[in-house]
Amino acid sequence: MEDKHAQNKSSEANWKQATEKALERFPERKPSFKTSSNIDVDRLYYPDPTENYNQKLGFPGQYPYTRGIQPTMYRSRFWTMRQYAGFGSAAETNNRFRYLLEQGQTGLSVAFDLPTQIGYDSDDPMAEGEVGKVGVAIDSLADMEKLLDGIPLDQVSTSMTINAPASVLLCMYIAVGEKQGVPLEKLTGTIQNDILKEYIARGTYIFPPKPSMRLITDIFAFCQTHIPKFNTISISGYHIREAGSTAVQEAAFTIANGMAYVDHALEAGLDIDSFAPRLAFFFNAHNNFFEEIAKFRAARRIWARIMKEHYGAKNPKSWKMRFHTQTGGSTLTAQQPDNNIVRVTIQALAAVMGGTQSLHTNSRDEALSLPTEDSARIALRTQQILAHESGVSDTVDPLGGSYYVEALTDDIERDVNRYLEQIADLGGAVQAVEAGFMQREIHQAAYDTQKDIEKAETTIVGLNAYTIDEDVNPDLMKVDPALEQAQINAIQTIRNERDQAAVDEALANLKAQAHLEDGHLMPFILKAVKAYATVGEICNVLRSEFGEYIG
Amino acid sequence: MYFDPNLANISARKIEGEKIMAKIRVLIAKPGLDGHDRGALVISQALRDRGMEVIYTGLRQSPVQIAQAAIQEDVDVVGVSSLSGAHNTLFPKIIEELKKRGAEDIPVIGGGVIPAEDIPFLIDSGIKKVFTSGASTDALANYIEQLIDSNQTSITPKKIAHIGIAVKQIDSVLSFYTDNLGLELEGIEDIPDEHVKAAFLKIGDSRLELLEPLDSASPIQQFLDKKGEGIHHIALEVDDIHGRVAQLKQEGVPLINDQPKQGAHNSQIAFIHPKAAGRVLFELCEKDEAGDV
Repeated sequence: MEDKHAQNKSSEANWKQATEKALERFPERKPSFKTSSNIDVDRLYYPDPTENYNQKLGFPGQYPYTRGIQPTMYRSRFWTMRQYAGFGSAAETNNRFRYLLEQGQTGLSVAFDLPTQIGYDSDDPMAEGEVGKVGVAIDSLADMEKLLDGIPLDQVSTSMTINAPASVLLCMYIAVGEKQGVPLEKLTGTIQNDILKEYIARGTYIFPPKPSMRLITDIFAFCQTHIPKFNTISISGYHIREAGSTAVQEAAFTIANGMAYVDHALEAGLDIDSFAPRLAFFFNAHNNFFEEIAKFRAARRIWARIMKEHYGAKNPKSWKMRFHTQTGGSTLTAQQPDNNIVRVTIQALAAVMGGTQSLHTNSRDEALSLPTEDSARIALRTQQILAHESGVSDTVDPLGGSYYVEALTDDIERDVNRYLEQIADLGGAVQAVEAGFMQREIHQAAYDTQKDIEKAETTIVGLNAYTIDEDVNPDLMKVDPALEQAQINAIQTIRNERDQAAVDEALANLKAQAHLEDGHLMPFILKAVKAYATVGEICNVLRSEFGEYIG
Repeated sequence: MYFDPNLANISARKIEGEKIMAKIRVLIAKPGLDGHDRGALVISQALRDRGMEVIYTGLRQSPVQIAQAAIQEDVDVVGVSSLSGAHNTLFPKIIEELKKRGAEDIPVIGGGVIPAEDIPFLIDSGIKKVFTSGASTDALANYIEQLIDSNQTSITPKKIAHIGIAVKQIDSVLSFYTDNLGLELEGIEDIPDEHVKAAFLKIGDSRLELLEPLDSASPIQQFLDKKGEGIHHIALEVDDIHGRVAQLKQEGVPLINDQPKQGAHNSQIAFIHPKAAGRVLFELCEKDEAGDV
C-alpha cells in the first residue's frame, strides 16, 4: 500500500516536471482556464487519496442522490421528451400537440401567450399586439377545451408554463379532465407556479409577493388532497440563467426560492412530507458541458441535505430533487442557425448525463422566431438519437467518479452554499428579491458575458468568429395577425352565451374569499372557471383585493 | 469590472474643441407585456459606460407611456426592445404617440428578436434603425453618438464628388466628353499608386473621371478584363473620413480600405466593398482643406 502510494507520488512529480518543460516550448492557450461560473479549471484531475467517493455521492436512488434519484435511471425508462409548444389559437396548438404526440413525444408542455400569463383577456387594451404570439391564447374554459380536444388526460402528462394565474389555468385543466371523465387522482402534470423567479428574471408577475405566496401555498394544499399526482410547482432556474446568471447562481437562486416556498407552506401549517414530494425543479443546460453536469449533480445533493437536515423531512420522496431541463435559448445564435443543432445536442447530452427527468430541446431557429414544424422535429429527433443511439442511457451516472466532474460538483456545491448563506443573511429569498439582490448579481454576470463576447475573450462560433456573409433568414414561423381579432370575437361570444348571473356570483364569492386573510381560493376559482369566467375577469377580482406588483 | 468609473466620467464629457457637450440622454423602453429585459438592461449599462444618461422604463410600458416618458425626460433618442413578436404592432404606435405630442424629432431605434423581413416595415413606420440579435453594444453606442451628432454637424455625404468611368484609352473617348457633351477638361494626371491615369471633367460641383490603366496590375485593367468599359465607381465627398471609415467598420460594412489613403489632388480616399451596395463600388473622399481643388 505504502509502496503504491510512493509510486503514485513519484509519477505525479514526474508529470509535473515534464509539464514545466513542455510549457516552456508550448505555452497553453490561456494563462488560466475557468468555467462560466468563474471556477478555476485545473490542468489535470486525479484522485485525492483522502477522498471517500462512495460516502459523499451515495448510490443512485440513495441519499444524497448525487448520482441520480432512481436506482436504475434510464435503464428502466428514458427521460420524458417534453417539447414546449404553443402559438396562436387553441385549435392550432391542439394540432401541433397531436403532431408531436404522433412523432413520439411523451408529454405535453403548454406555452401560453403573454396576456394569458399576465392575466389579461385577449380583448384587454394591454393585450394589444401580444395575442397568440409567444404561446397559445387562453381566455376561458372554452379555449382550454379546444386546446386539449381529443387528448386523453389520463394518459398524457401536461406541463403548463403558467405562474401568476397558475391557479386559474390549473382549474381549467381540472375542469376539462372532469368533462373527459378522468378521475382527478389520475391527472398528472406540472404547473410552473414559481412566482419568485418572475420578479427576479422572467417578468410575468401580477400580484405583490405576499398574496402571490399565499396563492401558491393554497395550490399546494388543494392539490395534495384533490390531484395528488400533479406537480404543484416547478421551481425554475431556467429563466434566471437566460437572464444572464452563471451556472452557480442559477442553482443557488433556484434552491433559495425553493426554500422560500417550503418556509411559507410550513408557516401556513402544512406538513413538510405532505407537499415536498410534489415540488419539482426546472433547470437550464448551457454549453460548458462538464460544469452543467456538475451543476445538476450538486443541486440534487444540496437539496437532499436541506430537506433532510434543515427541514427534517422524513419521507425520502421529499429529499429527491426531480427536475425538467431545457437547453439554453440564449446560447443560440441568429447567425448560421443550423449550428444551433450542435449546441442543443451538447446541452441535451449534459442534461442526460446530469440525470434529468424530462427534457426540452430548443429548435435551431429560436433566436429568430418561434420554431417551424421542421425545426421542432429536428429538436425532438436530437433527444431520440441521444436516447436510442448514443448508449449514454445504458448505465447510471456515466460520469460519476470522473475526477474532474466530482471536483467540479464539489466546487459548485461550495459556491452555491455561499450564496445560500448570503441570502439567508438577507432574510430569505423573498427579502432578497425585494432588495434586488439576485437581480443585481444576474445583471452583472450578464453584462460581463456581453463584454467578453464583444472583446472576443469568449468565442461564439459564427457570431464573433468564423462568420460568413449570409441572408438572415429563410422560412420563419408566423402567427397570423388575424388571430387577435378572431380571439376577441370568440371571447365576446362566450360572454354573450354564458350564464352571466352564475359568473357574477362566482366572482363575488371569490372576491369575498380573497378578502379573508387565510381563505382558501382554489375551490372558488374552480367554480368561476366552470361558469366560463375568463382568466382576465378572475385575475381582475384578485387584483382588486391583492393589488399589483410594479417592477 | 470592465469599466473604470474614472474613465467613464471623462468620456461622459464629450469634448469637441473648447466646447463641452451635454451628455446624450437615452430612454430605453420595454413596450408590451414582454418580460425579457436582459438585452435592455445590458444595453442601458453599456450606454452608461459610454457616458450617456440612460433612463430605463421597466417592463410593460404602453406606447403612450413611452412617448410621455421620452418627452418628460427630454431624451435625445428612444431605444425600444421587444422579444415577444409584438414589434409590428407596438413600435409604430410609439412613433404615432410621439407625433401626436409634436415630438417626432426624437429618433426611435429598435431591437430584440425581429425577423429580417419585418425590418423594412418598421423603417417605413419611422423606426430609425433596428439592431437584431448579435449586434454589439459598441455599434449601438457609436450609432447613437453619430445620430445625435448629426443634429449638429452633417454626417450625410455632402455631394457626389465624381463618377469614375473605366476606359481603355482616355485619348480615344475624350473628345466625346469635351466636344460632343461640351464638358470642361480640368486636367489629366498619372496616379502611380493606383496604377491609373485619370482625366478630370468638370460638371457643376462634381466631376466625371475617365480612368485608364497604367499597367496590367491596375485595378482598372482587371475591371476592363472582367466587365469591359463602363461606370467603375461613384465617389462621395464626406467630412471626417477617418471617423466615417471607423464607423462603417464598426457597423460591419465590408470595406476595401480599412484606413483612408492618399488619393488624387491630395485628397484622402477609401473604398467600400461593392458587396455592401448591390455591386456598386463607392469611394469616400475628403478634400484637403489647404489644397487647391
